[in-house]
Amino acid sequence: MTKKYRLLALLTAFLLVFPILFVVMLSLGKTWSYPALLPEHWSVATWSSLFQDQRISQGIVLSLIISISVGATASFLSLLLARSIAYSAHQRQWLVGSYLPYLVSPVVLAAAWQYYFLRLGLSGQVQGVWLAQFLITLPFGVIFFNSFWNSHIRSLEQLAATLGGSPWQGFWLVSFPLAKGPLLICFFQSFLISWFEYGLTALIGVGKVQTLPLLVFQYVGEANIFYAALASCLLMAPPLLLLWINKRLVFIRSEGMEDQKE
Amino acid sequence: MLARLGLLLYVLLCVVPLALGLGYVAAYSFGLIGLLNHGFTTVHWQAVLQDKAFWQSLGFSLYCAFSSMSIVLISASALLMALRKQLSRGYLSYFIYFPLVLPTLVAAFICFQLWSKSGFISRLLFQIGFLSNLEAFPEFVNDACGIGIIFTHAFMATPFFTLLFLQLYKSEKIQALQDLALTLGATPGQTWQKVALPILWQKSIFSIFLYFVFIMGAYETPLLLGRQSPQMIAPLIIRKLQKFNLQDIPQAYAITTAYLLLLMGVAMAVLRNLKMRAV
Repeated sequence: MTKKYRLLALLTAFLLVFPILFVVMLSLGKTWSYPALLPEHWSVATWSSLFQDQRISQGIVLSLIISISVGATASFLSLLLARSIAYSAHQRQWLVGSYLPYLVSPVVLAAAWQYYFLRLGLSGQVQGVWLAQFLITLPFGVIFFNSFWNSHIRSLEQLAATLGGSPWQGFWLVSFPLAKGPLLICFFQSFLISWFEYGLTALIGVGKVQTLPLLVFQYVGEANIFYAALASCLLMAPPLLLLWINKRLVFIRSEGMEDQKE
Repeated sequence: MLARLGLLLYVLLCVVPLALGLGYVAAYSFGLIGLLNHGFTTVHWQAVLQDKAFWQSLGFSLYCAFSSMSIVLISASALLMALRKQLSRGYLSYFIYFPLVLPTLVAAFICFQLWSKSGFISRLLFQIGFLSNLEAFPEFVNDACGIGIIFTHAFMATPFFTLLFLQLYKSEKIQALQDLALTLGATPGQTWQKVALPILWQKSIFSIFLYFVFIMGAYETPLLLGRQSPQMIAPLIIRKLQKFNLQDIPQAYAITTAYLLLLMGVAMAVLRNLKMRAV
């Protein structure tokens, strides 16, 4: 590698990592008046409020409960729905319905749904936010699993049928074990869609359901940049953890393959 | 039986909510339902279509999406051309994922803290003597040109498209095609310009379109980094919906319907185009 490319790689790496380091730095600051380049006073007080400030701790717990349950339900259900669509005669036409929520911004969808949520008494309720997030994550799962139900899986199920298995046994004993890996990935992705969601949650929850993204916005509105940075760090933590796990798995797998080659 | 039940559930959970939402929005915009409405009327549509703010907003959303995607495609292609090996292994192959963990809201917050008049960059320039005072720093956020919005989306999308291009570069065996072009007398620059980049861009056209639409419908970034005029389409809709003037609600829904119709039209054109190319 020439010196020029090494320098370019270093610069790119710096640009990619700097925003995350910057937000972590802000979360550790106490005062930061202009024109000081770095906070004049550093403190872990903001981080210790994690255990003292009820707003943050409740926000974390609520976000976790909503995102985990939305992710798990949407992943499992979308696996089943995608199977029905993949095996239907009009697969492409059905799939259009799954792409539409992504053409429309979630916040615009929330504006369209607001009336129904009000009538059902779900507006401003955790259940309402859960349902709204579930309705936008489910189509993602259907798109995700559409490629899983390919001709190979289908022929395995057909083989099970010729050996005397029922359709349910074909699904549960043949396809489902093969779907465990994709299910985990789909769960992570759906979890993140729900975890990051702001506009839809703000509109359906009418500000009463205080998930972490809402807290970030609230702290920004209060010009409390240190708390906003803390909430931002908490929002980034799960995807960073998933990235670390994913990279570790990839590296372990590739090292294993190298060993096998040797 | 199991398949039919699945399709029924799909209709109930994916198609019906969408149809109900869009139906309500369209009916409200035509005065068929709603608090102050008294039957079918096109008056709200006329008001929206004659409203300069709507066209400005639509134009501004298109401009932001187009500018961001242009920066993304140029940057991702340049990164692939210059740092292909480093992106495949080593520290850069790890760091390239970092911007993908940023939620849009957090990315917008970071952009604000970096590029506002009292932000980190302004402080840095002040410390090294490039700035005499805070006011001398140009407006990069809450500005009329949407610079903050454009660069935040570009920053978030560039790694995604770099990884996508890298994946396509390998799966489409573009290196072999470039080698072939070289043996036929092409220069290294021409192998990128005439062979690699057209394949990469063409293969990722659907992802480019989806990301373009995603930026057009952005809500959090313009809320934090934009201004009231010109405003992107999603914040405009929500602002009109949350105003105290009830007459604005049908207009907000008319804007929503118009925006959705436009998107669906463009999506169908893109899909048809892709299909024709495939044939």
